[in-house]
Amino acid sequence: MYQIRIIEILEEPEILAAPGEQSDSEHLVVQMWASLVAVLMLGYYVWGISRDSRHKRNATGAKRAHYRKKRKFELGRQAANTKIGAKRIHAVRVRGGSTKFRALRLDSGNFAWGSEHATRKCRIIAVKYNSTNNELVRTNTLVKGCIVEIDATPFRQWFESHYALPLGRRGKKPHEGHEEGLNKPRSNHVERKVAERKEGFKVEQALDDQFVTGRVLARVTSRPGQAGRCDGYILEGKELDFYSRKIRSKGKH
Amino acid sequence: MAEQTEKAFQFQVGISQNSKLASKKKGNAKRWYCDVGLGFKTPKEAIEGTYIDKKCPFTGSTITIRGRILTGVVVSNKMKRTIVIRREYLHYIPKYNRYEKRHKNLSAHLSPAFIGVELGDQVTVGQCRPISKTVRFNVLKVQKKIIKGAGAKQFSKF
Repeated sequence: MYQIRIIEILEEPEILAAPGEQSDSEHLVVQMWASLVAVLMLGYYVWGISRDSRHKRNATGAKRAHYRKKRKFELGRQAANTKIGAKRIHAVRVRGGSTKFRALRLDSGNFAWGSEHATRKCRIIAVKYNSTNNELVRTNTLVKGCIVEIDATPFRQWFESHYALPLGRRGKKPHEGHEEGLNKPRSNHVERKVAERKEGFKVEQALDDQFVTGRVLARVTSRPGQAGRCDGYILEGKELDFYSRKIRSKGKH
Repeated sequence: MAEQTEKAFQFQVGISQNSKLASKKKGNAKRWYCDVGLGFKTPKEAIEGTYIDKKCPFTGSTITIRGRILTGVVVSNKMKRTIVIRREYLHYIPKYNRYEKRHKNLSAHLSPAFIGVELGDQVTVGQCRPISKTVRFNVLKVQKKIIKGAGAKQFSKF
């Protein structure tokens, strides 16, 4: 009885629309209502994607009989495919009542420089490498585990203020503004601390090269489609070698 | 370097890949390994080796052994890092007062810590969380096949 009602509503949106109003948005609302009502009345969800294993063959290869409909607890949702751009995040209500933040567009994230124990919010510039899918690199899609290029200036500023050593400068005369971190006025106590830190300290060559260009490679460790954030860590050492080589060989093709 | 065979950089989760710390250490970077409990000795290869396997019970931090511990004979080792073992048992038929042979196959994850596992070896596996569609067990101990008597003198392989 209720089923028929839903179909009626879908086919004749004009019923809900007041004369003179647009019926398009109403139609959408009605469709959403239909899903909801279906869940309540029919006892299953009408989302297409399911995460069950009942549709798969057995380990022996036998085809499993289809004996029950899709359940709401087996539901899956559309992928976020977060791109780089002005922040756009949608909140999704999930099972149990909690919320997931589906980031559709992100432009910055909290990135960590592990060996220096420094974390800064940086702008994300481009996706450079994805071990799973080249398509995701081409479309600049942010996912956990992809290698991105981030803006290095927050880290350079911190470094120069912390160590009073120039970072990523190749003999070029720095601009007026950049002198700040290096030569800012420091108290005696702080000067001593800085001198102690500087002693025998050296940044990895490969990293320093990256700072020259103002762009640093980092790996994303958060899940943008689940948490709504794109956080990660700067690549160093062996990992940096590994991925640099991968990116270079990609570029050659 | 030999262990980086995949498209993504292989590393043990939780062990920092820091350039600073790595250079300070004389040997390799730190390696995480654990004792799976229940009296199973963790193989030397797991501690000293360089392989990365997140599903290994000794060097993969997410795998714990709990539940059943079973044994079987290796039937196939052609899969990547997993083997098929065969467990035989006798089923009693009350009408005839006799038994019949039955067997069940089982897929178990084989850690790279165990080298040279061949067909016919006896293997002890422990239950862990689902690792793949059919794999819920992890190899804990391997007892090589003993070729008794005349067979031992013969050339079975290289």
